[in-house]
Amino acid sequence: MPFVAATRSLGAAGLFALSVLRASKPTRDFFAELTREIYKIGARSLPIVAAGGAFVGLSVTLLGYRALETYGATGQVSALLGLGLYRELGPVLTALLFVGRAGSSIAAELGLMRATDQITALSLMAIDPVAKTVAPRFWAAVVSVPLLTAIFVSLAITAGYFEAVHVIGIDGGTFWQTMKDSVDFHDDFLVAFIKAAIFGATSALVAAYVGFHAEPTIEGTSVATTRAVVNASLLVLMFNFVLSALLFRS
Amino acid sequence: MRGPRLEFAVGAFLLLALASLLVLALASTNNKWGFGGQTYPLKARFSSVGQLRTSAPVKIGGVVVGQVSDISLDPVKYDSIVTLSIDDRYKDLPADTSAGVFTAGLLGESFVGLSPGGDVETLKPGDEIALTQSAVDLMQLVGKYMFSGGGEKPAAASTTSTPSDAPTEQIK
Repeated sequence: MPFVAATRSLGAAGLFALSVLRASKPTRDFFAELTREIYKIGARSLPIVAAGGAFVGLSVTLLGYRALETYGATGQVSALLGLGLYRELGPVLTALLFVGRAGSSIAAELGLMRATDQITALSLMAIDPVAKTVAPRFWAAVVSVPLLTAIFVSLAITAGYFEAVHVIGIDGGTFWQTMKDSVDFHDDFLVAFIKAAIFGATSALVAAYVGFHAEPTIEGTSVATTRAVVNASLLVLMFNFVLSALLFRS
Repeated sequence: MRGPRLEFAVGAFLLLALASLLVLALASTNNKWGFGGQTYPLKARFSSVGQLRTSAPVKIGGVVVGQVSDISLDPVKYDSIVTLSIDDRYKDLPADTSAGVFTAGLLGESFVGLSPGGDVETLKPGDEIALTQSAVDLMQLVGKYMFSGGGEKPAAASTTSTPSDAPTEQIK
């Protein structure tokens, strides 16, 4: 009965998400853990996100220039860059980089905690293991991914600016004004960061879920890591389509 | 890594990210922080709106003063009613202001252009603009050029040759 099994695992994941929300209490210990997790999964993802953003900005600018050249509308390349980054590329690529960089480490850490019976030990000491291990990682991801998206987008726009203005030779004033005219503060800018927060929550939940419920063996940990990256990436891409369809009307 | 150094690293990360958020919001968006409310509606009837879509700009003398908020069809007269939301700063448009649907360039976006008249009466929110000019269908114009008038072959060929590759983009 594959359908029943699929529904059951979905339900288990949903209950896990609920238990994470219920376990998130703003205690002093929680904030200490949260700070550490923001450092581990947020601040240390900064270099890869920054470099990734710069290269994406460069290639989107080149691609846009090539396509718009046909119509003599090369001045519009910054509209393409801005809209493309805020609407899709920024949140999605940041989330995918985050899944690869931090999601895998969340799953591996929790999987190893499970394999070395640390999670059982926490429950034996009457400490809620979800509150101690999962909740800080979840909230750290919800905070970090939008901030990383901001860094990704700013690096991409800066790199695109250099490519467009100093290499291709588009006028700098046109570049900024076209971007300002086409990027709406609510419809594009805010939505990008709402999307990013949802992707952060999704990827952290998936990674924590598979890590937390990994087989308590070395192999189980490696399976959990793989599954975290595969499932979280897929979910991010699927949610992105759903969110784009719901949030962007024009 | 624990204690003060960790907190410094996290603080630096948060500051950097928030700073880039702020710079992005200021430098790359249209800076419309408010949630509407500072616009007022005007209506205009057109027999055809062409390629006009909602959220297209409304311009006076080339300056954007608002946007198209709704396009609907009158179920009795069968002409399209375009609702414009105009920025509150331009409150006192004369009552004999006229509206037209124009296209920016050959392939550009459609927009509504307003040209204010000289009336002392002003348009109230929700009023209808009486003088309108519908969208010009480029395809029809080209068709008329191509199939009317037999004489002056070379001249006709030269006038049609420039826009001839443009309309093919629109046939889809």
